[in-house]
Amino acid sequence: MELIDRYVYAVTQQLPEKQRTEIEKELRGLIEDMLEERTHGGSPSPKEVEDVLVELGNPSEMADRYRGSKRYLIGPGLFTSYISVLRIVWIAIGIALGVMFMIESIMDPTNVLDHFIDGIVSVVIGLTQGFAWVTVVFGILEYTGAQKARGKKTEQAWKPSDLPQLPQYKSRISPAEPIASIIFSVLFVVLFSYSTDLLGVWRFTDGERTVIPFFNTEVFSRFLPYIWILLAVGILKEIMKLNTRRWTTRLIGMEIAVTILYLIVAVLMFSDAAIWNADFMQQAVDSGLVTAGSEGYSTVNTVWENITEGLALIYLIGLVSMIQVISLIVKAYRNKA
Amino acid sequence: MDIQETIQSLTQELRRGTLVLCVLSQLSEPQYGYSLVSILEEKGLSIDPGTLYPLMRRLEKQELLVSSWDTNEARPRKYYQLSDLGMQVYQHLRQEWASLAEGVNRLMNGGEGYGAN
Repeated sequence: MELIDRYVYAVTQQLPEKQRTEIEKELRGLIEDMLEERTHGGSPSPKEVEDVLVELGNPSEMADRYRGSKRYLIGPGLFTSYISVLRIVWIAIGIALGVMFMIESIMDPTNVLDHFIDGIVSVVIGLTQGFAWVTVVFGILEYTGAQKARGKKTEQAWKPSDLPQLPQYKSRISPAEPIASIIFSVLFVVLFSYSTDLLGVWRFTDGERTVIPFFNTEVFSRFLPYIWILLAVGILKEIMKLNTRRWTTRLIGMEIAVTILYLIVAVLMFSDAAIWNADFMQQAVDSGLVTAGSEGYSTVNTVWENITEGLALIYLIGLVSMIQVISLIVKAYRNKA
Repeated sequence: MDIQETIQSLTQELRRGTLVLCVLSQLSEPQYGYSLVSILEEKGLSIDPGTLYPLMRRLEKQELLVSSWDTNEARPRKYYQLSDLGMQVYQHLRQEWASLAEGVNRLMNGGEGYGAN
Protein backbone atom coordinates (compact mmCIF):
# COMPACT_ATOMS: atom_id res chain seq x y z
CA MET A 1 0.00 0.00 0.00
CA GLU A 2 2.98 2.26 0.49
CA LEU A 3 3.43 2.27 -3.28
CA ILE A 4 -0.04 3.77 -3.67
CA ASP A 5 0.79 6.55 -1.20
CA ARG A 6 3.98 7.25 -3.06
CA TYR A 7 2.19 7.34 -6.40
CA VAL A 8 -0.52 9.69 -5.15
CA TYR A 9 2.11 11.91 -3.57
CA ALA A 10 4.18 11.97 -6.76
CA VAL A 11 1.16 13.23 -8.70
CA THR A 12 -0.26 15.72 -6.21
CA GLN A 13 3.00 17.39 -5.23
CA GLN A 14 3.22 18.69 -8.79
CA LEU A 15 -0.22 20.28 -8.58
CA PRO A 16 -1.41 23.59 -7.11
CA GLU A 17 -1.91 23.39 -3.37
CA LYS A 18 -5.63 23.98 -3.31
CA GLN A 19 -6.43 21.17 -5.75
CA ARG A 20 -4.30 18.60 -3.97
CA THR A 21 -6.68 17.24 -1.35
CA GLU A 22 -9.51 16.66 -3.77
CA ILE A 23 -7.39 15.10 -6.48
CA GLU A 24 -5.77 12.93 -3.86
CA LYS A 25 -9.16 11.65 -2.72
CA GLU A 26 -10.23 11.09 -6.30
CA LEU A 27 -7.03 9.27 -7.22
CA ARG A 28 -7.20 6.99 -4.20
CA GLY A 29 -10.80 6.15 -5.05
CA LEU A 30 -9.80 5.36 -8.61
CA ILE A 31 -6.92 3.12 -7.57
CA GLU A 32 -9.14 1.25 -5.10
CA ASP A 33 -11.81 0.79 -7.77
CA MET A 34 -9.25 -0.53 -10.20
CA LEU A 35 -7.85 -2.92 -7.59
CA GLU A 36 -11.28 -4.11 -6.61
CA GLU A 37 -12.07 -4.97 -10.19
CA ARG A 38 -9.01 -7.18 -10.30
CA THR A 39 -9.35 -8.83 -6.91
CA HIS A 40 -13.15 -8.98 -6.71
CA GLY A 41 -13.13 -7.77 -3.13
CA GLY A 42 -10.09 -9.67 -1.89
CA SER A 43 -7.01 -7.88 -0.68
CA PRO A 44 -4.66 -7.04 -3.54
CA SER A 45 -1.23 -8.54 -3.94
CA PRO A 46 1.80 -6.24 -4.43
CA LYS A 47 1.92 -7.40 -8.04
CA GLU A 48 -1.65 -6.26 -8.63
CA VAL A 49 -0.93 -2.87 -7.06
CA GLU A 50 2.05 -2.48 -9.34
CA ASP A 51 0.01 -3.44 -12.41
CA VAL A 52 -2.61 -0.83 -11.59
CA LEU A 53 0.00 1.89 -11.12
CA VAL A 54 1.66 0.93 -14.40
CA GLU A 55 -1.72 1.19 -16.09
CA LEU A 56 -2.18 4.69 -14.68
CA GLY A 57 1.18 5.64 -16.08
CA ASN A 58 3.95 8.09 -15.27
CA PRO A 59 2.85 10.38 -12.39
CA SER A 60 4.41 13.43 -14.05
CA GLU A 61 2.33 12.87 -17.16
CA MET A 62 -0.72 12.34 -14.99
CA ALA A 63 -0.01 15.65 -13.23
CA ASP A 64 0.46 17.34 -16.61
CA ARG A 65 -2.97 16.15 -17.66
CA TYR A 66 -4.52 17.44 -14.45
CA ARG A 67 -2.82 20.77 -14.90
CA GLY A 68 -3.67 20.95 -18.58
CA SER A 69 -0.25 22.37 -19.43
CA LYS A 70 3.36 21.44 -19.21
CA ARG A 71 5.62 23.42 -16.94
CA TYR A 72 8.90 24.84 -18.10
CA LEU A 73 11.58 26.88 -16.50
CA ILE A 74 12.68 27.73 -20.02
CA GLY A 75 10.37 26.47 -22.72
CA PRO A 76 11.21 25.29 -26.22
CA GLY A 77 10.44 28.76 -27.61
CA LEU A 78 13.26 30.37 -25.67
CA PHE A 79 15.63 27.45 -25.35
CA THR A 80 17.70 28.13 -28.48
CA SER A 81 18.39 31.73 -27.56
CA TYR A 82 19.00 30.69 -23.96
CA ILE A 83 21.78 28.36 -25.04
CA SER A 84 23.38 30.87 -27.40
CA VAL A 85 23.26 33.69 -24.82
CA LEU A 86 24.65 31.38 -22.16
CA ARG A 87 27.52 30.44 -24.45
CA ILE A 88 28.33 34.10 -25.15
CA VAL A 89 28.17 35.05 -21.47
CA TRP A 90 30.46 32.18 -20.54
CA ILE A 91 32.97 33.16 -23.21
CA ALA A 92 32.87 36.77 -21.98
CA ILE A 93 33.46 35.73 -18.38
CA GLY A 94 36.24 33.39 -19.46
CA ILE A 95 37.98 36.17 -21.40
CA ALA A 96 37.59 38.64 -18.52
CA LEU A 97 39.06 36.24 -15.98
CA GLY A 98 41.83 35.25 -18.41
CA VAL A 99 42.80 38.91 -18.80
CA MET A 100 42.71 39.29 -15.02
CA PHE A 101 45.03 36.31 -14.64
CA MET A 102 47.46 37.75 -17.17
CA ILE A 103 47.54 41.14 -15.50
CA GLU A 104 48.17 39.58 -12.11
CA SER A 105 50.90 37.30 -13.45
CA ILE A 106 52.68 40.15 -15.20
CA MET A 107 52.56 42.31 -12.08
CA ASP A 108 53.54 39.63 -9.69
CA PRO A 109 55.42 36.97 -11.65
CA THR A 110 56.79 35.18 -8.59
CA ASN A 111 53.40 33.87 -7.54
CA VAL A 112 52.16 32.67 -10.93
CA LEU A 113 51.11 29.32 -9.52
CA ASP A 114 48.98 30.95 -6.82
CA HIS A 115 47.37 33.21 -9.40
CA PHE A 116 46.71 30.19 -11.58
CA ILE A 117 44.95 28.33 -8.77
CA ASP A 118 42.99 31.46 -7.83
CA GLY A 119 42.17 31.83 -11.50
CA ILE A 120 40.73 28.32 -11.74
CA VAL A 121 38.62 28.93 -8.65
CA SER A 122 37.28 32.21 -10.02
CA VAL A 123 36.54 30.59 -13.38
CA VAL A 124 34.40 27.98 -11.62
CA ILE A 125 32.64 30.63 -9.52
CA GLY A 126 32.32 33.00 -12.47
CA LEU A 127 30.80 30.40 -14.80
CA THR A 128 28.37 29.31 -12.09
CA GLN A 129 27.35 32.93 -11.51
CA GLY A 130 26.96 33.49 -15.23
CA PHE A 131 24.81 30.39 -15.52
CA ALA A 132 22.63 31.51 -12.62
CA TRP A 133 22.11 35.02 -13.97
CA VAL A 134 21.31 33.93 -17.51
CA THR A 135 18.90 31.31 -16.20
CA VAL A 136 17.18 33.84 -13.92
CA VAL A 137 16.71 36.27 -16.80
CA PHE A 138 15.30 33.61 -19.12
CA GLY A 139 13.16 32.14 -16.36
CA ILE A 140 11.56 35.56 -15.89
CA LEU A 141 11.13 35.97 -19.65
CA GLU A 142 9.49 32.55 -19.85
CA TYR A 143 7.22 33.23 -16.90
CA THR A 144 6.08 36.67 -18.07
CA GLY A 145 5.80 35.41 -21.65
CA ALA A 146 3.64 32.48 -20.58
CA GLN A 147 1.43 34.77 -18.49
CA LYS A 148 1.03 37.12 -21.41
CA ALA A 149 0.15 34.31 -23.80
CA ARG A 150 -2.50 33.11 -21.38
CA GLY A 151 -3.94 36.62 -20.97
CA LYS A 152 -3.98 37.30 -24.68
CA LYS A 153 -6.06 34.28 -25.51
CA THR A 154 -9.04 35.70 -23.70
CA GLU A 155 -8.43 39.40 -24.30
CA GLN A 156 -8.01 39.81 -28.00
CA ALA A 157 -7.27 37.89 -31.12
CA TRP A 158 -3.87 38.06 -32.70
CA LYS A 159 -3.54 40.59 -35.50
CA PRO A 160 -0.90 40.69 -38.25
CA SER A 161 0.11 44.11 -36.88
CA ASP A 162 1.25 42.35 -33.70
CA LEU A 163 4.12 40.85 -35.68
CA PRO A 164 7.47 42.13 -34.42
CA GLN A 165 9.32 44.62 -36.63
CA LEU A 166 12.11 43.27 -38.76
CA PRO A 167 15.37 44.39 -37.21
CA GLN A 168 16.32 47.66 -38.90
CA TYR A 169 19.97 48.29 -39.50
CA LYS A 170 19.91 51.33 -37.20
CA SER A 171 18.20 49.48 -34.37
CA ARG A 172 20.27 46.31 -34.59
CA ILE A 173 22.61 45.57 -31.70
CA SER A 174 25.86 43.96 -32.71
CA PRO A 175 26.64 41.23 -30.19
CA ALA A 176 30.16 42.63 -29.79
CA GLU A 177 28.86 45.53 -27.71
CA PRO A 178 27.12 43.53 -24.96
CA ILE A 179 29.96 40.99 -24.94
CA ALA A 180 32.52 43.77 -24.38
CA SER A 181 30.30 45.25 -21.65
CA ILE A 182 30.06 41.92 -19.84
CA ILE A 183 33.83 41.41 -20.07
CA PHE A 184 34.47 44.87 -18.63
CA SER A 185 31.82 44.46 -15.93
CA VAL A 186 33.42 41.23 -14.75
CA LEU A 187 36.86 42.85 -14.83
CA PHE A 188 35.55 45.78 -12.78
CA VAL A 189 33.91 43.49 -10.23
CA VAL A 190 37.22 41.69 -9.70
CA LEU A 191 39.27 44.88 -9.74
CA PHE A 192 37.04 46.80 -7.33
CA SER A 193 36.59 43.87 -5.00
CA TYR A 194 40.19 42.74 -4.64
CA SER A 195 42.59 45.30 -6.02
CA THR A 196 41.37 48.85 -5.50
CA ASP A 197 44.96 49.80 -4.71
CA LEU A 198 45.90 49.10 -8.34
CA LEU A 199 43.74 52.00 -9.48
CA GLY A 200 46.16 54.85 -9.46
CA VAL A 201 49.24 56.32 -11.04
CA TRP A 202 51.71 53.64 -12.01
CA ARG A 203 55.38 54.34 -11.95
CA PHE A 204 58.27 52.07 -12.89
CA THR A 205 61.68 53.09 -11.73
CA ASP A 206 64.62 50.72 -12.09
CA GLY A 207 62.27 47.80 -12.58
CA GLU A 208 60.50 48.63 -9.33
CA ARG A 209 56.79 49.17 -9.55
CA THR A 210 55.06 51.73 -7.38
CA VAL A 211 51.38 52.57 -7.56
CA ILE A 212 50.02 55.72 -6.03
CA PRO A 213 46.39 54.76 -5.41
CA PHE A 214 43.58 57.23 -6.09
CA PHE A 215 41.27 55.77 -3.49
CA ASN A 216 41.16 55.06 0.18
CA THR A 217 40.65 51.31 0.05
CA GLU A 218 38.77 51.12 3.32
CA VAL A 219 36.23 53.83 2.49
CA PHE A 220 35.92 52.51 -1.06
CA SER A 221 35.03 49.04 0.16
CA ARG A 222 31.96 50.44 1.93
CA PHE A 223 30.50 51.21 -1.47
CA LEU A 224 31.24 47.74 -2.83
CA PRO A 225 27.73 46.28 -2.34
CA TYR A 226 26.25 49.11 -4.42
CA ILE A 227 28.85 48.59 -7.10
CA TRP A 228 28.10 44.86 -7.19
CA ILE A 229 24.37 45.44 -7.53
CA LEU A 230 25.00 48.04 -10.20
CA LEU A 231 27.27 45.81 -12.23
CA ALA A 232 24.89 42.85 -11.81
CA VAL A 233 21.98 44.94 -13.09
CA GLY A 234 24.23 46.06 -15.92
CA ILE A 235 25.10 42.48 -16.85
CA LEU A 236 21.42 41.52 -16.69
CA LYS A 237 20.65 44.31 -19.13
CA GLU A 238 23.42 43.13 -21.47
CA ILE A 239 21.96 39.61 -21.38
CA MET A 240 18.59 41.05 -22.44
CA LYS A 241 20.35 42.85 -25.29
CA LEU A 242 22.01 39.63 -26.41
CA ASN A 243 18.61 38.02 -26.47
CA THR A 244 16.70 40.63 -28.49
CA ARG A 245 19.63 41.83 -30.61
CA ARG A 246 17.82 45.05 -31.40
CA TRP A 247 16.85 48.23 -29.63
CA THR A 248 13.35 48.11 -28.27
CA THR A 249 11.65 50.81 -26.25
CA ARG A 250 11.82 48.60 -23.20
CA LEU A 251 15.55 48.01 -23.60
CA ILE A 252 16.20 51.71 -24.09
CA GLY A 253 14.18 52.36 -20.92
CA MET A 254 16.35 49.86 -19.04
CA GLU A 255 19.49 51.44 -20.45
CA ILE A 256 18.35 54.86 -19.24
CA ALA A 257 17.47 53.48 -15.81
CA VAL A 258 20.89 51.82 -15.49
CA THR A 259 22.66 55.03 -16.59
CA ILE A 260 20.78 56.99 -13.91
CA LEU A 261 21.62 54.32 -11.32
CA TYR A 262 25.29 54.62 -12.26
CA LEU A 263 25.04 58.38 -11.87
CA ILE A 264 23.42 58.10 -8.43
CA VAL A 265 26.05 55.69 -7.14
CA ALA A 266 28.86 57.81 -8.61
CA VAL A 267 27.52 60.97 -6.96
CA LEU A 268 27.11 59.14 -3.65
CA MET A 269 30.66 57.84 -3.81
CA PHE A 270 32.47 60.92 -5.01
CA SER A 271 30.64 63.41 -2.84
CA ASP A 272 32.28 61.67 0.10
CA ALA A 273 35.73 63.26 0.15
CA ALA A 274 37.05 60.48 2.40
CA ILE A 275 36.94 58.05 -0.48
CA TRP A 276 40.06 59.63 -1.97
CA ASN A 277 43.55 58.78 -0.88
CA ALA A 278 44.31 61.66 1.51
CA ASP A 279 48.06 61.14 1.14
CA PHE A 280 48.06 61.17 -2.65
CA MET A 281 50.19 64.29 -3.04
CA GLN A 282 52.61 63.21 -0.32
CA GLN A 283 53.03 59.78 -1.92
CA ALA A 284 53.50 61.39 -5.33
CA VAL A 285 56.38 63.40 -3.93
CA ASP A 286 57.85 60.39 -2.10
CA SER A 287 57.83 58.27 -5.22
CA GLY A 288 59.62 60.98 -7.13
CA LEU A 289 56.72 61.61 -9.48
CA VAL A 290 56.78 65.34 -8.77
CA THR A 291 59.12 67.52 -6.77
CA ALA A 292 57.62 69.48 -3.91
CA GLY A 293 57.36 73.21 -4.68
CA SER A 294 57.86 72.81 -8.43
CA GLU A 295 55.47 74.13 -11.06
CA GLY A 296 54.47 70.56 -11.90
CA TYR A 297 53.57 69.99 -8.26
CA SER A 298 51.17 72.92 -8.13
CA THR A 299 49.52 71.90 -11.39
CA VAL A 300 48.98 68.34 -10.21
CA ASN A 301 47.84 69.64 -6.83
CA THR A 302 45.26 71.95 -8.38
CA VAL A 303 43.88 69.19 -10.57
CA TRP A 304 43.78 66.74 -7.66
CA GLU A 305 42.01 69.22 -5.36
CA ASN A 306 39.53 70.14 -8.05
CA ILE A 307 38.66 66.51 -8.51
CA THR A 308 38.57 65.43 -4.90
CA GLU A 309 37.28 68.48 -3.07
CA GLY A 310 35.49 70.37 -5.79
CA LEU A 311 32.62 69.17 -7.87
CA ALA A 312 34.53 68.90 -11.14
CA LEU A 313 34.31 65.10 -11.34
CA ILE A 314 30.65 64.97 -10.38
CA TYR A 315 29.85 67.61 -13.01
CA LEU A 316 31.78 65.66 -15.60
CA ILE A 317 30.03 62.38 -14.78
CA GLY A 318 26.67 64.17 -14.71
CA LEU A 319 27.34 65.69 -18.10
CA VAL A 320 28.37 62.38 -19.66
CA SER A 321 25.29 60.65 -18.21
CA MET A 322 23.04 63.42 -19.47
CA ILE A 323 24.45 63.17 -22.98
CA GLN A 324 23.96 59.42 -22.88
CA VAL A 325 20.36 59.67 -21.67
CA ILE A 326 19.53 62.27 -24.31
CA SER A 327 21.05 60.17 -27.07
CA LEU A 328 19.06 57.17 -25.81
CA ILE A 329 15.83 59.18 -25.89
CA VAL A 330 16.63 60.29 -29.44
CA LYS A 331 17.29 56.66 -30.32
CA ALA A 332 13.91 55.68 -28.86
CA TYR A 333 12.13 58.27 -31.01
CA ARG A 334 14.00 57.32 -34.16
CA ASN A 335 13.23 53.69 -33.44
CA LYS A 336 9.51 54.37 -33.27
CA ALA A 337 9.44 56.43 -36.45
CA MET B 1 9.08 4.57 -36.87
CA ASP B 2 7.39 1.42 -38.10
CA ILE B 3 3.92 1.35 -39.53
CA GLN B 4 2.28 -0.01 -36.39
CA GLU B 5 3.56 2.88 -34.32
CA THR B 6 2.45 5.41 -36.89
CA ILE B 7 -1.02 3.89 -37.06
CA GLN B 8 -1.25 3.77 -33.32
CA SER B 9 -0.29 7.37 -32.75
CA LEU B 10 -2.63 8.63 -35.48
CA THR B 11 -5.47 6.52 -34.14
CA GLN B 12 -4.88 7.94 -30.71
CA GLU B 13 -5.02 11.44 -32.11
CA LEU B 14 -8.25 10.64 -33.89
CA ARG B 15 -9.84 9.28 -30.73
CA ARG B 16 -8.65 12.11 -28.56
CA GLY B 17 -10.89 14.55 -30.38
CA THR B 18 -13.97 12.45 -29.79
CA LEU B 19 -13.34 11.86 -26.10
CA VAL B 20 -15.32 14.83 -24.81
CA LEU B 21 -18.29 13.78 -26.91
CA CYS B 22 -18.13 10.22 -25.58
CA VAL B 23 -17.96 11.43 -21.99
CA LEU B 24 -20.75 13.96 -22.33
CA SER B 25 -23.00 11.39 -24.00
CA GLN B 26 -22.97 9.16 -20.91
CA LEU B 27 -23.51 11.76 -18.23
CA SER B 28 -27.19 12.56 -18.32
CA GLU B 29 -27.18 10.31 -15.24
CA PRO B 30 -24.59 10.90 -12.52
CA GLN B 31 -21.54 8.65 -12.77
CA TYR B 32 -18.27 8.49 -10.94
CA GLY B 33 -15.03 8.22 -12.85
CA TYR B 34 -14.49 4.48 -12.74
CA SER B 35 -18.11 3.58 -13.47
CA LEU B 36 -17.82 5.71 -16.59
CA VAL B 37 -14.65 3.84 -17.57
CA SER B 38 -16.59 0.55 -17.31
CA ILE B 39 -19.61 1.87 -19.22
CA LEU B 40 -17.45 3.16 -22.06
CA GLU B 41 -15.50 -0.08 -22.12
CA GLU B 42 -18.69 -2.14 -22.34
CA LYS B 43 -19.71 -0.13 -25.37
CA GLY B 44 -16.38 -0.79 -27.02
CA LEU B 45 -14.60 2.48 -26.26
CA SER B 46 -11.79 1.81 -23.89
CA ILE B 47 -10.42 4.90 -22.24
CA ASP B 48 -7.48 5.20 -19.97
CA PRO B 49 -8.64 6.31 -16.47
CA GLY B 50 -5.51 8.46 -16.22
CA THR B 51 -6.92 10.47 -19.11
CA LEU B 52 -10.56 10.40 -18.08
CA TYR B 53 -10.20 11.72 -14.53
CA PRO B 54 -8.33 14.90 -15.44
CA LEU B 55 -10.67 15.38 -18.40
CA MET B 56 -13.75 15.30 -16.17
CA ARG B 57 -12.20 17.84 -13.86
CA ARG B 58 -11.52 20.10 -16.80
CA LEU B 59 -15.07 19.78 -18.06
CA GLU B 60 -16.29 20.67 -14.59
CA LYS B 61 -14.10 23.75 -14.60
CA GLN B 62 -15.61 24.68 -17.96
CA GLU B 63 -18.99 24.32 -16.27
CA LEU B 64 -20.18 21.56 -18.58
CA LEU B 65 -20.37 19.11 -15.67
CA VAL B 66 -21.46 19.46 -12.07
CA SER B 67 -20.12 17.21 -9.38
CA SER B 68 -21.01 16.05 -5.90
CA TRP B 69 -19.23 13.82 -3.43
CA ASP B 70 -21.10 10.74 -2.26
CA THR B 71 -19.75 9.73 1.12
CA ASN B 72 -22.38 7.12 1.93
CA GLU B 73 -20.57 4.24 0.28
CA ALA B 74 -17.53 2.39 1.51
CA ARG B 75 -15.26 4.88 -0.18
CA PRO B 76 -16.10 8.49 -1.05
CA ARG B 77 -16.79 8.99 -4.73
CA LYS B 78 -17.13 12.06 -6.83
CA TYR B 79 -20.16 11.88 -9.12
CA TYR B 80 -20.33 13.94 -12.26
CA GLN B 81 -23.39 14.89 -14.25
CA LEU B 82 -24.17 17.16 -17.22
CA SER B 83 -25.08 20.73 -16.29
CA ASP B 84 -27.66 22.65 -18.30
CA LEU B 85 -24.86 24.29 -20.19
CA GLY B 86 -23.25 20.88 -20.69
CA MET B 87 -26.49 19.56 -22.12
CA GLN B 88 -26.71 22.41 -24.63
CA VAL B 89 -23.09 22.02 -25.61
CA TYR B 90 -23.57 18.28 -26.00
CA GLN B 91 -26.52 18.78 -28.36
CA HIS B 92 -24.44 21.08 -30.53
CA LEU B 93 -21.45 18.76 -30.53
CA ARG B 94 -23.71 15.90 -31.50
CA GLN B 95 -24.84 17.73 -34.60
CA GLU B 96 -21.26 18.68 -35.38
CA TRP B 97 -20.24 15.07 -35.09
CA ALA B 98 -23.05 13.89 -37.33
CA SER B 99 -22.16 16.29 -40.09
CA LEU B 100 -18.44 15.64 -39.66
CA ALA B 101 -18.90 11.89 -39.83
CA GLU B 102 -21.14 12.25 -42.84
CA GLY B 103 -18.65 14.54 -44.57
CA VAL B 104 -15.68 12.32 -43.89
CA ASN B 105 -17.58 9.23 -45.02
CA ARG B 106 -18.60 10.96 -48.20
CA LEU B 107 -14.98 11.84 -48.89
CA MET B 108 -13.79 8.32 -48.35
CA ASN B 109 -16.61 6.49 -50.08
CA GLY B 110 -17.46 9.02 -52.78
CA GLY B 111 -16.48 8.78 -56.45
CA GLU B 112 -13.12 10.55 -56.20
CA GLY B 113 -11.83 9.28 -52.87
CA TYR B 114 -9.00 6.81 -52.89
CA GLY B 115 -10.10 3.34 -51.85
CA ALA B 116 -13.77 3.98 -52.67
CA ASN B 117 -15.81 0.81 -52.77
